[in-house]
Amino acid sequence: MIKLKNIIKQYEVNSQNIVIALKGIDLHIKEGELVVLRGASGSGKSTILSLIAALSKPTSGEVLVNGDRISKLPDNFAADFRRHSIGFVFQKYNLMPMLSAKENIILPLVPMNLSSDEIEEKLKRVLKMFQIEHKENQLVKNLSGGEQQRVAIARANINNPKIILADEPTANLDEKLSLAFIEILKELKVEGKTIVIATHDPLFFGLDIVDREIEIYQGSIV
Amino acid sequence: MLLTPEVLTILILNGIFALFSIVAFVLSIKIFLRWNIDSTSELQYKLEKESFLASTIIKYIFTIKVPLFLFFIFALDKISNVITGAMCAAGVVDATNSGAYLIILKIINLYLFAHWLKLHNQDMTDKNQPYTKLKFGLFIGLFFLFMVEIVLEFIMFSSIEIDKMVSCCGSIYSSSSTSAISTLFTLDTSLLLSIFYGNYLLIVLFYFLKNRYIFTTLNIIFIPVSLISLILFFGTYIYELPSHHCPFCYLQSDYYYVGYLIYFLLFMGTFYGLVVSFVKETKASYIASLLFNSLYVILLSLYIAAYYIKNGVLL
Repeated sequence: MIKLKNIIKQYEVNSQNIVIALKGIDLHIKEGELVVLRGASGSGKSTILSLIAALSKPTSGEVLVNGDRISKLPDNFAADFRRHSIGFVFQKYNLMPMLSAKENIILPLVPMNLSSDEIEEKLKRVLKMFQIEHKENQLVKNLSGGEQQRVAIARANINNPKIILADEPTANLDEKLSLAFIEILKELKVEGKTIVIATHDPLFFGLDIVDREIEIYQGSIV
Repeated sequence: MLLTPEVLTILILNGIFALFSIVAFVLSIKIFLRWNIDSTSELQYKLEKESFLASTIIKYIFTIKVPLFLFFIFALDKISNVITGAMCAAGVVDATNSGAYLIILKIINLYLFAHWLKLHNQDMTDKNQPYTKLKFGLFIGLFFLFMVEIVLEFIMFSSIEIDKMVSCCGSIYSSSSTSAISTLFTLDTSLLLSIFYGNYLLIVLFYFLKNRYIFTTLNIIFIPVSLISLILFFGTYIYELPSHHCPFCYLQSDYYYVGYLIYFLLFMGTFYGLVVSFVKETKASYIASLLFNSLYVILLSLYIAAYYIKNGVLL
Protein backbone atom coordinates (compact mmCIF):
# COMPACT_ATOMS: atom_id res chain seq x y z
CA MET A 1 0.00 0.00 0.00
CA ILE A 2 2.58 2.56 1.17
CA LYS A 3 6.26 1.97 0.49
CA LEU A 4 9.17 4.22 1.33
CA LYS A 5 12.41 3.09 -0.31
CA ASN A 6 15.75 4.37 0.93
CA ILE A 7 14.36 7.83 1.64
CA ILE A 8 16.78 10.63 2.41
CA LYS A 9 15.37 14.05 3.15
CA GLN A 10 17.51 17.10 3.70
CA TYR A 11 16.37 20.63 4.43
CA GLU A 12 18.69 23.37 3.31
CA VAL A 13 18.41 26.09 5.93
CA ASN A 14 21.13 28.02 4.10
CA SER A 15 24.18 27.08 2.04
CA GLN A 16 26.19 26.40 5.23
CA ASN A 17 23.49 24.64 7.18
CA ILE A 18 21.81 21.47 5.95
CA VAL A 19 19.50 19.51 8.24
CA ILE A 20 19.20 15.82 7.48
CA ALA A 21 15.65 14.92 8.52
CA LEU A 22 15.57 11.33 7.22
CA LYS A 23 18.59 9.08 6.72
CA GLY A 24 17.72 6.27 4.33
CA ILE A 25 14.28 5.20 5.59
CA ASP A 26 12.71 1.95 4.33
CA LEU A 27 9.10 1.43 5.36
CA HIS A 28 6.20 -0.72 4.19
CA ILE A 29 2.66 -0.11 5.45
CA LYS A 30 -0.04 -2.57 4.39
CA GLU A 31 -3.60 -1.69 3.43
CA GLY A 32 -5.89 -1.30 6.44
CA GLU A 33 -3.01 -1.04 8.90
CA LEU A 34 -2.95 1.50 11.73
CA VAL A 35 0.64 2.52 12.28
CA VAL A 36 1.97 4.86 14.92
CA LEU A 37 5.20 6.68 14.23
CA ARG A 38 6.65 7.57 17.59
CA GLY A 39 9.60 9.70 18.43
CA ALA A 40 10.71 12.97 19.92
CA SER A 41 10.15 16.34 18.27
CA GLY A 42 12.42 16.74 15.28
CA SER A 43 12.95 13.00 14.84
CA GLY A 44 11.47 13.02 11.30
CA LYS A 45 7.91 11.73 11.91
CA SER A 46 6.15 14.69 10.30
CA THR A 47 8.55 14.57 7.36
CA ILE A 48 7.51 10.97 6.68
CA LEU A 49 3.83 12.01 6.70
CA SER A 50 4.47 14.92 4.34
CA LEU A 51 6.28 12.59 1.94
CA ILE A 52 3.43 10.04 1.97
CA ALA A 53 0.96 12.88 1.33
CA ALA A 54 3.13 14.17 -1.54
CA LEU A 55 3.33 17.51 0.25
CA SER A 56 7.09 17.40 -0.20
CA LYS A 57 9.58 15.41 -2.24
CA PRO A 58 12.48 13.37 -0.92
CA THR A 59 16.05 14.43 -1.57
CA SER A 60 16.55 10.90 -2.90
CA GLY A 61 14.66 7.61 -2.75
CA GLU A 62 11.14 6.73 -3.69
CA VAL A 63 7.64 6.84 -2.19
CA LEU A 64 5.02 4.50 -3.65
CA VAL A 65 1.32 4.50 -2.80
CA ASN A 66 -0.74 1.73 -4.37
CA GLY A 67 2.13 1.15 -6.80
CA ASP A 68 2.17 4.78 -7.99
CA ARG A 69 5.48 6.60 -7.61
CA ILE A 70 4.01 9.62 -5.89
CA SER A 71 7.40 11.14 -5.07
CA LYS A 72 7.88 11.57 -8.83
CA LEU A 73 4.55 13.25 -9.45
CA PRO A 74 4.59 16.79 -10.86
CA ASP A 75 2.91 19.27 -8.52
CA ASN A 76 -0.43 19.41 -10.35
CA PHE A 77 -0.73 15.60 -10.24
CA ALA A 78 0.39 15.54 -6.60
CA ALA A 79 -2.49 17.87 -5.71
CA ASP A 80 -4.88 15.56 -7.52
CA PHE A 81 -3.47 12.54 -5.69
CA ARG A 82 -3.90 14.26 -2.31
CA ARG A 83 -7.44 15.30 -3.11
CA HIS A 84 -8.56 11.77 -3.93
CA SER A 85 -6.37 9.51 -1.82
CA ILE A 86 -5.23 11.33 1.31
CA GLY A 87 -6.97 12.74 4.36
CA PHE A 88 -4.57 14.79 6.44
CA VAL A 89 -5.26 15.89 10.03
CA PHE A 90 -2.77 18.57 10.99
CA GLN A 91 -1.48 19.24 14.49
CA LYS A 92 -3.02 22.72 14.53
CA TYR A 93 -5.93 21.57 12.33
CA ASN A 94 -5.23 24.25 9.69
CA LEU A 95 -8.88 25.33 9.54
CA MET A 96 -10.05 28.62 8.06
CA PRO A 97 -11.26 30.58 11.13
CA MET A 98 -13.50 32.93 9.15
CA LEU A 99 -15.43 30.05 7.58
CA SER A 100 -18.12 27.91 9.16
CA ALA A 101 -17.56 24.26 10.04
CA LYS A 102 -19.54 23.20 6.98
CA GLU A 103 -17.53 25.48 4.66
CA ASN A 104 -14.26 24.15 6.06
CA ILE A 105 -15.33 20.56 5.59
CA ILE A 106 -16.39 20.95 1.95
CA LEU A 107 -13.29 22.97 1.03
CA PRO A 108 -11.46 19.99 -0.61
CA LEU A 109 -14.48 19.49 -2.89
CA VAL A 110 -14.31 22.99 -4.39
CA PRO A 111 -11.88 22.16 -7.26
CA MET A 112 -13.85 19.01 -8.15
CA ASN A 113 -16.87 20.76 -9.72
CA LEU A 114 -19.38 18.51 -7.99
CA SER A 115 -23.09 19.28 -8.00
CA SER A 116 -24.58 20.78 -4.84
CA ASP A 117 -26.50 17.53 -4.26
CA GLU A 118 -23.29 15.49 -4.33
CA ILE A 119 -21.57 17.93 -1.97
CA GLU A 120 -24.56 17.83 0.40
CA GLU A 121 -24.56 14.04 0.38
CA LYS A 122 -20.85 13.83 1.21
CA LEU A 123 -21.20 16.52 3.87
CA LYS A 124 -24.09 14.77 5.60
CA ARG A 125 -22.13 11.52 5.78
CA VAL A 126 -19.14 13.06 7.60
CA LEU A 127 -21.23 15.36 9.81
CA LYS A 128 -23.11 12.34 11.05
CA MET A 129 -20.01 10.15 11.30
CA PHE A 130 -18.17 12.65 13.49
CA GLN A 131 -21.26 13.92 15.34
CA ILE A 132 -20.97 17.59 14.48
CA GLU A 133 -24.31 18.12 12.68
CA HIS A 134 -25.39 20.69 15.25
CA LYS A 135 -22.25 22.78 14.71
CA GLU A 136 -22.20 22.90 10.93
CA ASN A 137 -23.12 26.58 10.58
CA GLN A 138 -20.89 27.92 13.37
CA LEU A 139 -17.63 29.68 12.61
CA VAL A 140 -14.78 27.35 13.51
CA LYS A 141 -13.06 30.05 15.57
CA ASN A 142 -16.02 29.82 17.98
CA LEU A 143 -15.71 26.04 18.39
CA SER A 144 -13.87 24.23 21.20
CA GLY A 145 -10.57 22.42 20.55
CA GLY A 146 -12.27 19.03 20.40
CA GLU A 147 -14.94 20.30 18.02
CA GLN A 148 -12.33 21.91 15.82
CA GLN A 149 -10.51 18.61 15.65
CA ARG A 150 -13.71 16.83 14.61
CA VAL A 151 -14.17 19.39 11.85
CA ALA A 152 -10.56 18.78 10.75
CA ILE A 153 -11.13 15.00 10.71
CA ALA A 154 -14.42 15.45 8.85
CA ARG A 155 -12.62 17.57 6.26
CA ALA A 156 -9.93 14.91 5.91
CA ASN A 157 -12.67 12.31 5.28
CA ILE A 158 -14.97 14.27 2.99
CA ASN A 159 -13.54 12.54 -0.11
CA ASN A 160 -13.60 9.18 1.61
CA PRO A 161 -9.83 8.67 1.13
CA LYS A 162 -8.21 5.31 1.71
CA ILE A 163 -5.34 6.79 3.69
CA ILE A 164 -5.62 8.98 6.78
CA LEU A 165 -2.52 10.73 8.05
CA ALA A 166 -2.54 12.52 11.39
CA ASP A 167 0.30 14.65 12.67
CA GLU A 168 0.32 14.97 16.48
CA PRO A 169 -3.49 14.86 16.50
CA THR A 170 -3.85 15.02 20.28
CA ALA A 171 -1.18 17.62 21.00
CA ASN A 172 -3.78 20.32 21.71
CA LEU A 173 -6.38 18.12 23.43
CA ASP A 174 -6.99 17.08 27.01
CA GLU A 175 -7.13 13.38 27.91
CA LYS A 176 -10.91 13.09 27.56
CA LEU A 177 -10.89 14.55 24.04
CA SER A 178 -7.85 12.46 23.16
CA LEU A 179 -9.77 9.33 24.12
CA ALA A 180 -12.67 10.52 21.99
CA PHE A 181 -10.25 10.84 19.08
CA ILE A 182 -9.12 7.26 19.61
CA GLU A 183 -12.78 6.19 19.34
CA ILE A 184 -12.94 7.95 15.98
CA LEU A 185 -9.81 6.10 14.91
CA LYS A 186 -11.50 2.82 15.78
CA GLU A 187 -14.39 3.69 13.48
CA LEU A 188 -12.03 4.64 10.66
CA LYS A 189 -10.12 1.39 11.09
CA VAL A 190 -13.35 -0.59 10.92
CA GLU A 191 -14.02 1.14 7.62
CA GLY A 192 -10.74 -0.31 6.34
CA LYS A 193 -8.74 2.91 6.17
CA THR A 194 -4.97 2.82 6.30
CA ILE A 195 -3.99 5.17 9.12
CA VAL A 196 -0.59 6.59 9.96
CA ILE A 197 -0.23 8.71 13.08
CA ALA A 198 2.86 10.67 14.01
CA THR A 199 2.82 11.27 17.75
CA HIS A 200 4.79 11.32 20.95
CA ASP A 201 1.61 11.05 23.04
CA PRO A 202 1.96 7.93 25.26
CA LEU A 203 -1.82 7.44 25.03
CA PHE A 204 -1.28 5.78 21.65
CA PHE A 205 1.39 3.38 22.78
CA GLY A 206 0.22 -0.17 23.33
CA LEU A 207 -3.33 0.49 22.11
CA ASP A 208 -5.10 -2.64 20.86
CA ILE A 209 -6.19 -0.94 17.62
CA VAL A 210 -2.62 -0.06 16.73
CA ASP A 211 -1.08 -2.68 14.45
CA ARG A 212 2.48 -1.40 14.61
CA GLU A 213 4.53 1.17 16.46
CA ILE A 214 7.60 2.42 14.68
CA GLU A 215 10.20 4.33 16.63
CA ILE A 216 11.92 7.14 14.76
CA TYR A 217 15.13 8.51 16.19
CA GLN A 218 17.16 11.23 14.53
CA GLY A 219 15.89 10.43 11.05
CA SER A 220 16.23 6.65 11.25
CA ILE A 221 13.92 3.78 12.17
CA VAL A 222 15.11 2.20 15.39
CA MET B 1 17.93 55.72 -31.69
CA LEU B 2 14.25 56.28 -32.13
CA LEU B 3 12.71 55.97 -28.68
CA THR B 4 8.96 56.11 -28.92
CA PRO B 5 6.97 54.65 -25.99
CA GLU B 6 6.32 51.52 -28.09
CA VAL B 7 10.01 51.03 -28.92
CA LEU B 8 10.97 51.63 -25.29
CA THR B 9 8.43 49.03 -24.19
CA ILE B 10 9.84 46.48 -26.63
CA LEU B 11 13.45 47.19 -25.66
CA ILE B 12 12.77 47.03 -21.91
CA LEU B 13 10.84 43.78 -22.31
CA ASN B 14 13.65 42.37 -24.46
CA GLY B 15 16.16 43.24 -21.73
CA ILE B 16 14.10 41.48 -19.08
CA PHE B 17 13.46 38.49 -21.35
CA ALA B 18 17.15 38.19 -22.25
CA LEU B 19 18.14 38.15 -18.59
CA PHE B 20 15.63 35.48 -17.60
CA SER B 21 16.18 33.41 -20.72
CA ILE B 22 19.90 33.14 -19.90
CA VAL B 23 18.92 31.58 -16.54
CA ALA B 24 16.51 29.22 -18.33
CA PHE B 25 19.15 28.41 -20.95
CA VAL B 26 21.74 27.35 -18.36
CA LEU B 27 19.16 25.19 -16.57
CA SER B 28 17.95 23.75 -19.90
CA ILE B 29 21.42 22.50 -20.80
CA LYS B 30 21.71 20.80 -17.41
CA ILE B 31 18.26 19.23 -17.69
CA PHE B 32 18.73 18.16 -21.30
CA LEU B 33 22.01 16.40 -20.54
CA ARG B 34 21.12 14.72 -17.26
CA TRP B 35 17.35 14.18 -17.21
CA ASN B 36 16.29 10.62 -16.35
CA ILE B 37 12.68 10.43 -15.26
CA ASP B 38 13.10 6.89 -13.85
CA SER B 39 15.91 7.88 -11.52
CA THR B 40 15.23 8.55 -7.82
CA SER B 41 18.62 10.13 -7.23
CA GLU B 42 19.24 13.46 -5.54
CA LEU B 43 20.30 14.93 -8.88
CA GLN B 44 17.08 13.93 -10.63
CA TYR B 45 14.87 15.41 -7.87
CA LYS B 46 16.92 18.60 -8.12
CA LEU B 47 16.48 18.64 -11.89
CA GLU B 48 12.72 18.16 -11.48
CA LYS B 49 12.59 21.29 -9.31
CA GLU B 50 14.81 23.19 -11.74
CA SER B 51 12.77 22.05 -14.72
CA PHE B 52 9.70 23.56 -13.09
CA LEU B 53 11.54 26.86 -12.64
CA ALA B 54 13.02 26.87 -16.14
CA SER B 55 9.79 25.89 -17.89
CA THR B 56 7.87 28.54 -15.94
CA ILE B 57 10.36 31.21 -17.07
CA ILE B 58 10.23 30.06 -20.70
CA LYS B 59 6.47 29.71 -20.64
CA TYR B 60 5.95 33.28 -19.48
CA ILE B 61 8.52 34.71 -21.91
CA PHE B 62 6.97 32.93 -24.90
CA THR B 63 3.41 33.57 -23.77
CA ILE B 64 4.20 37.29 -23.86
CA LYS B 65 6.42 37.08 -26.97
CA VAL B 66 3.78 35.49 -29.21
CA PRO B 67 1.18 38.28 -28.92
CA LEU B 68 4.03 40.80 -28.73
CA PHE B 69 4.56 40.15 -32.43
CA LEU B 70 1.33 42.02 -33.10
CA PHE B 71 2.53 44.83 -30.82
CA PHE B 72 5.79 44.95 -32.78
CA ILE B 73 3.87 45.43 -36.03
CA PHE B 74 1.69 48.02 -34.30
CA ALA B 75 4.87 49.82 -33.11
CA LEU B 76 6.28 49.87 -36.66
CA ASP B 77 3.02 51.29 -37.89
CA LYS B 78 3.16 54.07 -35.29
CA ILE B 79 6.81 54.85 -36.12
CA SER B 80 5.88 55.24 -39.78
CA ASN B 81 4.19 58.52 -38.82
CA VAL B 82 7.53 60.13 -37.98
CA ILE B 83 9.66 58.69 -40.77
CA THR B 84 9.84 60.70 -43.95
CA GLY B 85 8.27 58.83 -46.83
CA ALA B 86 6.93 55.90 -44.81
CA MET B 87 3.16 55.41 -45.08
CA CYS B 88 2.95 52.26 -42.96
CA ALA B 89 5.11 49.59 -41.28
CA ALA B 90 6.48 48.54 -44.69
CA GLY B 91 8.46 51.76 -44.93
CA VAL B 92 9.94 51.25 -41.46
CA VAL B 93 10.94 47.66 -42.28
CA ASP B 94 12.58 48.91 -45.44
CA ALA B 95 14.30 51.78 -43.62
CA THR B 96 17.09 49.56 -42.27
CA ASN B 97 19.12 46.67 -43.64
CA SER B 98 18.00 44.33 -40.86
CA GLY B 99 14.25 45.03 -41.08
CA ALA B 100 13.30 42.35 -43.61
CA TYR B 101 15.46 39.69 -41.93
CA LEU B 102 13.95 40.57 -38.59
CA ILE B 103 10.39 40.16 -39.88
CA ILE B 104 11.21 36.76 -41.42
CA LEU B 105 12.95 35.62 -38.23
CA LYS B 106 10.05 36.86 -36.13
CA ILE B 107 7.57 34.84 -38.18
CA ILE B 108 9.70 31.69 -37.85
CA ASN B 109 10.14 32.31 -34.11
CA LEU B 110 6.43 32.92 -33.72
CA TYR B 111 5.70 29.37 -34.88
CA LEU B 112 8.57 27.88 -32.90
CA PHE B 113 7.68 29.67 -29.65
CA ALA B 114 4.04 28.67 -30.02
CA HIS B 115 5.16 25.09 -30.62
CA TRP B 116 7.26 25.13 -27.50
CA LEU B 117 4.24 26.32 -25.53
CA LYS B 118 2.09 23.54 -26.98
CA LEU B 119 4.79 20.96 -26.25
CA HIS B 120 5.07 22.23 -22.68
CA ASN B 121 1.32 22.09 -22.29
CA GLN B 122 1.30 18.45 -23.42
CA ASP B 123 4.19 17.67 -21.11
CA MET B 124 2.39 19.10 -18.10
CA THR B 125 -0.75 17.06 -18.75
CA ASP B 126 1.12 13.75 -18.49
CA LYS B 127 2.44 12.67 -15.09
CA ASN B 128 5.42 10.97 -16.76
CA GLN B 129 6.45 14.26 -18.43
CA PRO B 130 7.37 12.55 -21.73
CA TYR B 131 8.38 15.73 -23.54
CA THR B 132 10.66 17.26 -20.89
CA LYS B 133 13.94 16.39 -22.54
CA LEU B 134 12.61 17.35 -25.96
CA LYS B 135 11.21 20.71 -24.85
CA PHE B 136 14.42 21.75 -23.12
CA GLY B 137 16.46 20.54 -26.09
CA LEU B 138 14.24 22.62 -28.32
CA PHE B 139 14.69 25.62 -26.07
CA ILE B 140 18.47 25.36 -26.30
CA GLY B 141 18.13 25.90 -30.06
CA LEU B 142 15.40 28.50 -29.66
CA PHE B 143 17.51 30.49 -27.22
CA PHE B 144 19.96 31.39 -30.00
CA LEU B 145 17.19 32.38 -32.40
CA PHE B 146 15.59 34.36 -29.58
CA MET B 147 18.83 36.22 -28.87
CA VAL B 148 19.41 36.90 -32.58
CA GLU B 149 15.89 38.34 -32.72
CA ILE B 150 16.58 40.61 -29.74
CA VAL B 151 19.90 41.79 -31.23
CA LEU B 152 18.33 42.40 -34.68
CA GLU B 153 15.49 44.30 -33.03
CA PHE B 154 17.98 46.51 -31.21
CA ILE B 155 20.01 47.05 -34.39
CA MET B 156 16.90 47.89 -36.35
CA PHE B 157 15.54 50.44 -33.87
CA SER B 158 18.97 51.99 -33.34
CA SER B 159 19.64 52.40 -37.07
CA ILE B 160 16.39 54.11 -37.99
CA GLU B 161 17.06 57.68 -39.09
CA ILE B 162 13.93 59.76 -39.01
CA ASP B 163 15.27 62.46 -41.32
CA LYS B 164 16.30 59.98 -43.99
CA MET B 165 13.86 59.50 -46.81
CA VAL B 166 12.49 55.93 -47.10
CA SER B 167 10.34 54.23 -49.70
CA CYS B 168 6.61 53.95 -49.20
CA CYS B 169 4.82 50.63 -49.47
CA GLY B 170 3.48 51.58 -52.88
CA SER B 171 6.97 51.45 -54.36
CA ILE B 172 8.30 48.57 -52.22
CA TYR B 173 5.45 46.23 -53.15
CA SER B 174 5.41 46.81 -56.88
CA SER B 175 6.85 45.24 -59.99
CA SER B 176 9.25 48.18 -60.26
CA SER B 177 10.72 47.57 -56.82
CA THR B 178 14.48 47.12 -56.66
CA SER B 179 14.17 44.36 -54.05
CA ALA B 180 13.43 40.66 -54.50
CA ILE B 181 9.76 41.43 -53.98
CA SER B 182 9.49 42.58 -57.61
CA THR B 183 10.06 38.99 -58.77
CA LEU B 184 6.76 38.03 -57.10
CA PHE B 185 4.94 40.20 -59.57
CA THR B 186 6.08 38.05 -62.45
CA LEU B 187 3.83 35.25 -61.14
CA ASP B 188 0.66 34.52 -63.03
CA THR B 189 -2.31 35.47 -60.82
CA SER B 190 -4.66 32.77 -62.06
CA LEU B 191 -1.99 30.12 -61.47
CA LEU B 192 -1.35 31.54 -58.00
CA LEU B 193 -5.05 31.45 -57.16
CA SER B 194 -5.29 27.86 -58.40
CA ILE B 195 -2.42 26.93 -56.11
CA PHE B 196 -4.00 28.84 -53.19
CA TYR B 197 -7.45 27.28 -53.45
CA GLY B 198 -5.99 23.91 -54.48
CA ASN B 199 -3.77 23.93 -51.43
CA TYR B 200 -6.75 24.73 -49.21
CA LEU B 201 -8.88 21.98 -50.78
CA LEU B 202 -6.08 19.48 -50.21
CA ILE B 203 -5.96 20.56 -46.55
CA VAL B 204 -9.70 19.85 -46.35
CA LEU B 205 -9.21 16.48 -48.07
CA PHE B 206 -6.42 15.40 -45.73
CA TYR B 207 -8.40 16.59 -42.74
CA PHE B 208 -10.84 13.81 -43.60
CA LEU B 209 -8.12 11.32 -44.56
CA LYS B 210 -6.26 12.16 -41.31
CA ASN B 211 -2.78 11.76 -42.73
CA ARG B 212 -0.87 13.89 -40.26
CA TYR B 213 2.37 14.34 -42.20
CA ILE B 214 0.72 15.34 -45.46
CA PHE B 215 -1.69 17.56 -43.51
CA THR B 216 1.26 19.32 -41.87
CA THR B 217 3.21 19.60 -45.13
CA LEU B 218 0.19 21.20 -46.81
CA ASN B 219 -0.08 23.67 -43.94
CA ILE B 220 3.61 24.55 -44.21
CA ILE B 221 3.15 25.20 -47.95
CA PHE B 222 -0.01 27.18 -47.19
CA ILE B 223 1.99 29.82 -45.24
CA PRO B 224 4.04 31.26 -48.17
CA VAL B 225 1.26 30.56 -50.68
CA SER B 226 -1.17 32.54 -48.53
CA LEU B 227 1.21 35.42 -47.94
CA ILE B 228 2.08 35.73 -51.62
CA SER B 229 -1.61 35.48 -52.61
CA LEU B 230 -2.42 38.11 -50.05
CA ILE B 231 0.18 40.50 -51.43
CA LEU B 232 -0.45 39.88 -55.09
CA PHE B 233 -4.18 39.37 -55.22
CA PHE B 234 -6.39 39.55 -52.14
CA GLY B 235 -4.80 42.72 -50.75
CA THR B 236 -5.92 44.69 -53.78
CA TYR B 237 -9.55 43.79 -52.99
CA ILE B 238 -9.17 44.86 -49.39
CA TYR B 239 -7.80 48.22 -50.55
CA GLU B 240 -10.07 48.27 -53.60
CA LEU B 241 -7.04 49.48 -55.54
CA PRO B 242 -5.44 47.29 -58.23
CA SER B 243 -1.99 48.79 -57.68
CA HIS B 244 -1.83 48.61 -53.87
CA HIS B 245 -0.18 45.39 -52.65
CA CYS B 246 1.11 46.31 -49.20
CA PRO B 247 0.80 43.55 -46.55
CA PHE B 248 0.86 46.14 -43.73
CA CYS B 249 -1.62 48.87 -44.62
CA TYR B 250 -4.68 46.81 -43.72
CA LEU B 251 -3.36 46.72 -40.17
CA GLN B 252 -4.36 50.37 -39.94
CA SER B 253 -7.62 51.90 -38.72
CA ASP B 254 -8.58 52.89 -42.30
CA TYR B 255 -9.20 49.20 -42.96
CA TYR B 256 -10.70 48.50 -39.53
CA TYR B 257 -7.50 46.68 -38.45
CA VAL B 258 -8.66 43.69 -40.51
CA GLY B 259 -5.02 42.72 -41.13
CA TYR B 260 -4.69 41.59 -37.51
CA LEU B 261 -7.64 39.25 -37.98
CA ILE B 262 -6.28 37.95 -41.31
CA TYR B 263 -2.85 37.19 -39.89
CA PHE B 264 -4.32 35.76 -36.70
CA LEU B 265 -6.48 33.31 -38.68
CA LEU B 266 -3.58 32.30 -40.92
CA PHE B 267 -1.28 31.80 -37.95
CA MET B 268 -3.77 29.77 -35.92
CA GLY B 269 -4.81 27.57 -38.85
CA THR B 270 -1.29 26.72 -39.94
CA PHE B 271 0.02 26.48 -36.37
CA TYR B 272 -2.48 23.76 -35.46
CA GLY B 273 -1.72 22.12 -38.79
CA LEU B 274 1.88 21.82 -37.67
CA VAL B 275 0.95 20.69 -34.16
CA VAL B 276 -0.61 17.40 -35.40
CA SER B 277 2.81 16.22 -36.59
CA PHE B 278 5.28 18.01 -34.35
CA VAL B 279 3.52 17.79 -30.97
CA LYS B 280 0.54 15.45 -30.78
CA GLU B 281 -2.06 14.24 -33.23
CA THR B 282 -5.38 15.18 -31.69
CA LYS B 283 -8.82 15.62 -33.18
CA ALA B 284 -9.00 19.09 -31.60
CA SER B 285 -5.85 20.21 -33.45
CA TYR B 286 -7.19 18.95 -36.79
CA ILE B 287 -10.48 20.76 -36.20
CA ALA B 288 -8.77 23.98 -35.06
CA SER B 289 -6.51 23.97 -38.11
CA LEU B 290 -9.34 23.40 -40.55
CA LEU B 291 -11.60 25.91 -38.81
CA PHE B 292 -9.06 28.78 -38.80
CA ASN B 293 -7.80 28.03 -42.32
CA SER B 294 -11.39 27.93 -43.59
CA LEU B 295 -12.23 31.22 -41.88
CA TYR B 296 -9.11 32.71 -43.45
CA VAL B 297 -10.06 31.54 -46.96
CA ILE B 298 -13.71 32.59 -46.50
CA LEU B 299 -12.73 36.04 -45.22
CA LEU B 300 -10.43 36.73 -48.17
CA SER B 301 -12.92 35.32 -50.68
CA LEU B 302 -15.66 37.51 -49.20
CA TYR B 303 -13.62 40.60 -50.07
CA ILE B 304 -13.64 39.55 -53.73
CA ALA B 305 -17.35 38.69 -53.63
CA ALA B 306 -18.17 41.99 -51.92
CA TYR B 307 -16.17 43.96 -54.48
CA TYR B 308 -17.87 42.13 -57.35
CA ILE B 309 -21.35 42.68 -55.93
CA LYS B 310 -20.60 46.35 -55.33
CA ASN B 311 -18.89 47.12 -58.65
CA GLY B 312 -19.99 44.36 -61.02
CA VAL B 313 -16.39 43.75 -62.14
CA LEU B 314 -13.23 42.20 -60.79
CA LEU B 315 -9.93 44.02 -60.44
